[in-house]
Amino acid sequence: MNTESSCKTPSYNITCKMSHEAAALERLCQVVRVRGFRIAKMAVETTDGALQIALTIQGARPVGMLQSQLEKLHTVAEVKLAALAEAAASRIA
Amino acid sequence: MNGAQHILQAFHHHNIETVFGYPGGCIMPLYDALVDDVGVEHVLCRHEQGCALAADGYARASGKLGVCIATSGPGATNLITGVANAYQDSIPMLVITGQVPSALIGTDAFQETDVLGMTLGIVKHSYLIETADELPGILEEAIELAQIGRPGPVWIDIPKDVLLTETTAAPTRSTAQPQATSPDLSSAITLLRDARKPLLYSGGGISLAHAEDSFREFTKCSELPAVVTLKGIGNAGKHSAHNLGMLGMHGSRAANRAVDECDLLLVIGARLDDRATGKLDGFAPNARTIHIDADAAEFNKLRNVDVAVRGDLNSILNELTKSLTDAPLAISDWRKQCQTWRTTGGFQAADNEEPLAPITGPAFISQLSRTAPDDTIIACDVGQHQMWVAQHYQFDRPRHHLTSGGLGTMGFGLPAAIGAQFANRNSTVINVTGDGSFMMNAQELATIRRYNLPVKLIIMDNQCLGMVRQQQELFYNNRESHINLDDNPDFVAMARAFDIPALKIDRTDQVRRGIETILAYNGPMLLHVAIAREENVWPIVKPGGSNKEMIDETRRTAADQKEKTA
Repeated sequence: MNTESSCKTPSYNITCKMSHEAAALERLCQVVRVRGFRIAKMAVETTDGALQIALTIQGARPVGMLQSQLEKLHTVAEVKLAALAEAAASRIA
Repeated sequence: MNGAQHILQAFHHHNIETVFGYPGGCIMPLYDALVDDVGVEHVLCRHEQGCALAADGYARASGKLGVCIATSGPGATNLITGVANAYQDSIPMLVITGQVPSALIGTDAFQETDVLGMTLGIVKHSYLIETADELPGILEEAIELAQIGRPGPVWIDIPKDVLLTETTAAPTRSTAQPQATSPDLSSAITLLRDARKPLLYSGGGISLAHAEDSFREFTKCSELPAVVTLKGIGNAGKHSAHNLGMLGMHGSRAANRAVDECDLLLVIGARLDDRATGKLDGFAPNARTIHIDADAAEFNKLRNVDVAVRGDLNSILNELTKSLTDAPLAISDWRKQCQTWRTTGGFQAADNEEPLAPITGPAFISQLSRTAPDDTIIACDVGQHQMWVAQHYQFDRPRHHLTSGGLGTMGFGLPAAIGAQFANRNSTVINVTGDGSFMMNAQELATIRRYNLPVKLIIMDNQCLGMVRQQQELFYNNRESHINLDDNPDFVAMARAFDIPALKIDRTDQVRRGIETILAYNGPMLLHVAIAREENVWPIVKPGGSNKEMIDETRRTAADQKEKTA
C-alpha cells in the first residue's frame, strides 16, 4: 500500500446487508474495485442466511456513486454509508 | 421432470420461442430434452460468440428476451464478449451454461472454468445452481430480472448433475422488484418551463423501455429541438422537424452546437457516455440538467444534475406530454436557431456525378437509405462504416438500427443480423460491415445458409482497419501501425463457398444497381463494396477533446495546406 497516497485519500465506512449466496462477497468486492475504491478493512457475519458486511474503503471518487452501484446489486438488501471515517486512512496505513 | 426439462418448461411459460446455442459435454442433458420439444426453435450457430450476439440482435430487434446456451469451459468463455456487449447496452438476455458435475467443481475438471467468478462484471446478475429444487424458482426470477427496470444479461450456470436430477419443485414468485411508476415531475416541469433554450437528449433507454410511441407523442407536443445518442438514433423518426441528429465524437455540427448553447438539457434514457459528451468540462457548459432514467445509479455519475427522475419512461413521458398539452413552450426563437443550424450543420453526403469515380462511404449509405424498404433493419459492425450508417441512413424506428454502442464489438453485425431476421421473418435485414469486422464472425455465414435466412451482407472494404488508420493519421502523426488488411480473402469467392451468391462493385455507377440486386434477391446475398483506403469519417472530435473542437474535412485540408506552405 502506498502510505502517502492512502493518507490523502478519503476513507468511508459502509455497512451492507446481502443474501448469502454463491459469490456474494466477490460480487460486492468487484463493484467496490471497479468503481474506484480500495477495501482497507472488512468484517463479515452471517445472520439468518444473510451476510452483514462492514467495510472501510478508500477512494477519491464520490462515495455516493459507489453506494448507488451497490444498491443496484440484486442480492443487496441495504447499504448504509456512515459518516466520513476521518483519519482512518492514516490508522490503516 | 429433470432440471433440463424445467428449463424448457420455463421457456414455454414465458413464450420464449427462439434460442441460440451450441452443444457440448456438460449441457448435453438440455440438448437431450430439446429432442422431444417442438415448441422451442434452437438455432445452432457456429461459435458461441455468434450465439450470444445473435441473441442480442434478436432482443434488440424484437424487444423480447434473447436467450443463448453453451456448454462449460470454452463454451462459456466464448460467450463472454457477446454477454459483455449486451451488458454495456442493457440488452435483456438469459444465458444458460452447463457446468461440470457438482462433485467435480473446484477439481480442475475437464472443461471446468469458474464461470460465475469470471463473469461478475458483465452481468446484471448470475447464479450457480446448487440443487435441482432451486432451479425452477431461479429460472423464473432470472427471466424477469433480465427484463425489468434497466434490462441486462442474467447468467445461470448449471452443473450437469442438476440438469439430470428429477425435481417436483414449482417455480416460486419472483422477488425482483418493479419500479415505482409515478414519480414527482413538478421540479422537472418547472425547469423546463423556465428554460429559454431547452434541448432534448435521448438515448437507447427509449426503446429499452418500449417507450417509442410515448416519446414520439412528447416530441410532437413539446416541439423541443432534439439530439440523439448513437443508440437513440430513430427515436424521433426520420420525419421529425426538430431532430438535429447524433451528437458526440462523430455527431453533426448542428447537434454539438445546440448542446453547447442550450440552457437546459432534458436527458431521457441516456447515460451521458463519453463518446457522446466528449470532454465533460466543455459539455453543455451553460445548461441545467434534468435526467430521467430507469437506473438511479446513472444520476450524477458523470455530470451533476439539477433534477433526477427515476421510473418507467413510458409513464413519465406521458405525464410530461400532459403537462405541455394546454400550455406549449414559448421557445420559438430557439427553435428557429436550431433549424438554421440543422440546415447548415447536418450530415451531407455529396453524390458523385462522375460514373467511374470510386465509391464513397457516405454516398453509398445515403443511396442504401433511399433504396431499402421502410421496415429494413440494419445491423452494423464497428468502425467507419458504423459511423457512416449512423450519420447518413435515415432510421424511422430505433429497433431498425442495431449497433454495438457501449462495448464497440467488432463482429457484432453478422450474428446480430441473424438474430434480427429470426425476430422479424418478413423484414429486410442488412448487415453493413467492414472488412475487419466481417472476418471476426464470418463463420456465421454457415448459419445463414443452414436456415436459408434472406440476410443481405454489405462489406465496405477499404483494405484496412479504417477507424484506427484515421486516428493514427489525425492524432498519431500518420504513423500507421498494424492496420493493413490488403491480404483480405476474396470475399465474393468466400461467400460462394458458403453457397451464398455475391457480387463486387467499385465504381459510383454500380452502386444503385448493386443495392437493388441484393435487395431483390430472394435469399441471402453479399455485396462487396470496394472503397478508398484513405477515406475518413467527418466530422471527428479528438478522443478526450471537447465537442466544440470538431474537426471536419475542410478544416483538416486547410490545416494541411498551411503546414505545407509553412
